Amino acid sequence: MVVVGQSVPVLDARERVTGQVRYVLDAERPGMLTGRILRSPHPHARIVRVDASRAAALPGVHAVLTRADLHDQAPYNARYGRVYRDQGIVAIDRVRFVGDPVAAVAAVDGRTAEEALDLIDVEYEPLDAVFDVEDALRPDAPLLYEPRLAPQPGFAALVGDLGGASNVCSHFKLRHGNVQQGFAQADFVFEDTFRSPAVQHVPLEPHVTVAEFENGQLTVWTSTQMPHAIRAQLAELFRLPLTRVRVIVPMLGGGFGAKGSLRLEPITSLLALKARRPVKIALRREEEFLTVTKHAATVRLRTGVLQDGTVVARQVTGWYNTGAYADVGPIVARNGGSAMGGPYRTPHVHVDSYAVWTNVVPAAAFRGFGVPQIAWAYESQMDMIAERLGLDPVALRRKNIVHDGDRYATGEELEDIHSDALLDRAQAAIQWRPEDARWLRGVPSGEQAPAASLQRGKGLAVVIKATITPSTSTAAVKLNEDGSLDVLTSSVEMGQGAKTVLAQLAADAADLPYERVLVSEPDTAITPYDQQTSSSRTTYSMGTAVVRAVQDARQQLLALAAELLEVAADDLVTADGRVAVRGAPDRSLTYSEIIRRGQQGNILGHGTFVTKGGLDPETGQGIGSVHWHQAAAACEVEVDTETGKVEVLTFHSTVYAGRMVNPRLCELQTEGSTFLGLGQALFEELVYDDGQLVTQNLADYMIPSFGDVPRRVESAILERDGAGEVHGIGETSLPPVAPAVANAVYNATGVRITDLPLTPEKVLRGLHALRAARSAGQ
Amino acid sequence: MSQRVTLRVNGETRDLEVEVHDTLLEVLRSEFKLTGPREGCGIGMCGACTVLVDEKPISSCLALAALAADKDILTVEGLADGDGLHPIQEAFVEQMGFQCSYCTPGFILATKALLAEQPSPTPDEVRDYLAGNLCRCGSYVKILDAVLDAAARLRGAAAVERPRP
Repeated sequence: MVVVGQSVPVLDARERVTGQVRYVLDAERPGMLTGRILRSPHPHARIVRVDASRAAALPGVHAVLTRADLHDQAPYNARYGRVYRDQGIVAIDRVRFVGDPVAAVAAVDGRTAEEALDLIDVEYEPLDAVFDVEDALRPDAPLLYEPRLAPQPGFAALVGDLGGASNVCSHFKLRHGNVQQGFAQADFVFEDTFRSPAVQHVPLEPHVTVAEFENGQLTVWTSTQMPHAIRAQLAELFRLPLTRVRVIVPMLGGGFGAKGSLRLEPITSLLALKARRPVKIALRREEEFLTVTKHAATVRLRTGVLQDGTVVARQVTGWYNTGAYADVGPIVARNGGSAMGGPYRTPHVHVDSYAVWTNVVPAAAFRGFGVPQIAWAYESQMDMIAERLGLDPVALRRKNIVHDGDRYATGEELEDIHSDALLDRAQAAIQWRPEDARWLRGVPSGEQAPAASLQRGKGLAVVIKATITPSTSTAAVKLNEDGSLDVLTSSVEMGQGAKTVLAQLAADAADLPYERVLVSEPDTAITPYDQQTSSSRTTYSMGTAVVRAVQDARQQLLALAAELLEVAADDLVTADGRVAVRGAPDRSLTYSEIIRRGQQGNILGHGTFVTKGGLDPETGQGIGSVHWHQAAAACEVEVDTETGKVEVLTFHSTVYAGRMVNPRLCELQTEGSTFLGLGQALFEELVYDDGQLVTQNLADYMIPSFGDVPRRVESAILERDGAGEVHGIGETSLPPVAPAVANAVYNATGVRITDLPLTPEKVLRGLHALRAARSAGQ
Repeated sequence: MSQRVTLRVNGETRDLEVEVHDTLLEVLRSEFKLTGPREGCGIGMCGACTVLVDEKPISSCLALAALAADKDILTVEGLADGDGLHPIQEAFVEQMGFQCSYCTPGFILATKALLAEQPSPTPDEVRDYLAGNLCRCGSYVKILDAVLDAAARLRGAAAVERPRP
């Protein structure tokens, strides 16, 4: 039975419902100590003095880590970081955000470790701080890094030419066509600015790391989405060959991008080295909020259009607030930057996308990787442009949206594009008619129906997104002597169903029942290289590598069978765990018989899948993505004009998947994106007060619950007839959510909100402003 | 300061010495080696630490172990009967009512409590009752399917068990 395309039960379903899934949180090692981190209370300060002697003397404390351990003669590096080596294992000369790790302790239990933290004396000299991009870019702004840091080797092009010291961390440029010429041709030029705040991923399982460092061998069990990248970065940090660093990743209790770079591994590993015992650090929820966030962003969009709605030119400037450490901020800014034109055919596009250092919690990967912030801008603006031109916003999109053969803003020719189908579905889902746009309703701008306090409106949005290109996945398979199959992969399971989907692909490729396939957990000592589990790439990229590995094993199997059955390999077929002579089914052997009679022990297969591409650092032209991920969202909202509360009545997501491996898992991912998006659209926001985070627990920072689920939530996942190419869907449905809701709120109330979230206060302020304008006009 | 307490968890009775400030969640994990109840927030907002105490769902991160003596404590590990699964667990598997499943034990136990109180809940009743269990992966639509499926299974099983006249 073919399982690809079927909603087969997930591989470890039993463990999921019996509480027996092992997360890193559950990892225990003999003699394991508990680690805790001392964090800066200042957003920006020079560290004058650190004295941990009283902490070290406390009974039960086995190791204390301070900047004193990060001296020049240490046999490890003091700093790490992907693009810039800007992050100390603990803070060295300065602290750069409230929560910045200053010291750490490993003790027999958590309470002792906490007590020890209280005994560490740190003297600070506060410095001026900046918290948002506007302040960070002022000429007299305090600088986080002075003199300017040089980027890591290989990242100079990504970072760009930044001149003297400033808080600008990277500058991505895209130059397509001639935007001045485009604006000259335009009948109208519209400029609008959009803002979205920092939010937190809130994976229910926090970051956890267990480190064991003995005899020059470092082993970490860690909640990460990129085992091999972590291994490489730890190897560099501790000056070890890759073979002496082992990263093991069981199931994650949620990732969403939070677990995508070095986090607790350096501190935990160094404590383990000092203590000569294994050490575990598990963050409490308050600390989770102080570890990593999504980038707050400001996007200024200047769009030139003809009277008939044709978009001719786009100039976009985006600023991503990357917080105290760069992490992958420059890569986020590039990814968002390359898609800033939106899914629209625009001959002239000019983009400048900046990542900027400020004294807030570091921002890094977050589901959507820079695209939600700009989709918020361009899909809100599309509706605003439609109103200004008196056009139906759906018709305006259809007029401009990309199709196969169009050149994208990166200069590449697009293919496998399904914009019309996505718009068709979105429009039909909410039964959109032109009059659903409030300016086509015969209602004067800003006016609203006087009587009813509940106003309804519809809105939609459509988005295109890249998947990381170039990229590499490799996989191995072991066909065992009993005919079962082990798939060795470094893809991380975090709820998206990676293991299940890879097992389905392997089972079909091997002509084995799904139940005979086992998928490993990532262990860099055993499972071969994969770039990362993110960017919605696993089913496509690792799936292809796994299938190639199975095909490799199958070839070897057929060669052995050909000898045993005395036929040519071409005359053999496989089905249901057996190899048979074509046309003579009784002349067959099981996989097990072949392996045993051939004295093979097992058959090993391997597969590699590499995609090529990349963008020119000066022009942003090249191959932005091996293929493009596409989605649309449509919704109907009801706004209570007395309280400002927005209720989403219906939410419909349409996404192009190419080919689904497990349909129900695809629905779960799409629905998951919807709820993550609704939280950000309506209420999620990290609030800082002079650099101090005031939303640091799940009472002050609320995430969607059952109470926030719309009456109707639907997803349509489009496939291509025949063998479509798998297009990842883990993130695609997220970017259109917020602008679809904002467009619906506008059509309901006449209130256009350009900074997320769409809180009741903002709606009410907007309504009051409209009323005041009306009164003034009378 | 420590205290002796007798705790009855999943039918197993044990005498323990606990610190007066130890939470029930901490003791279930460290002493009973149970991995079903998990900390997600530490303040009783997320429901990942839900256990049933005398059949009522509580946030074990807010309960003191020393005060849980002489009560029947049920975690998700106590639901399945040997190799089989409880109908609620079967429903969650069938409907794929999870993604990362960190929240799943909490949801399953809260569902058990709900269905004991209301064997035929409407979708709205399910949403209200489970509003204290958070799922960041956003599996709510499938969780609702699983709860309604579980309700049907339990009603069916009850019908079979009802003695025939």
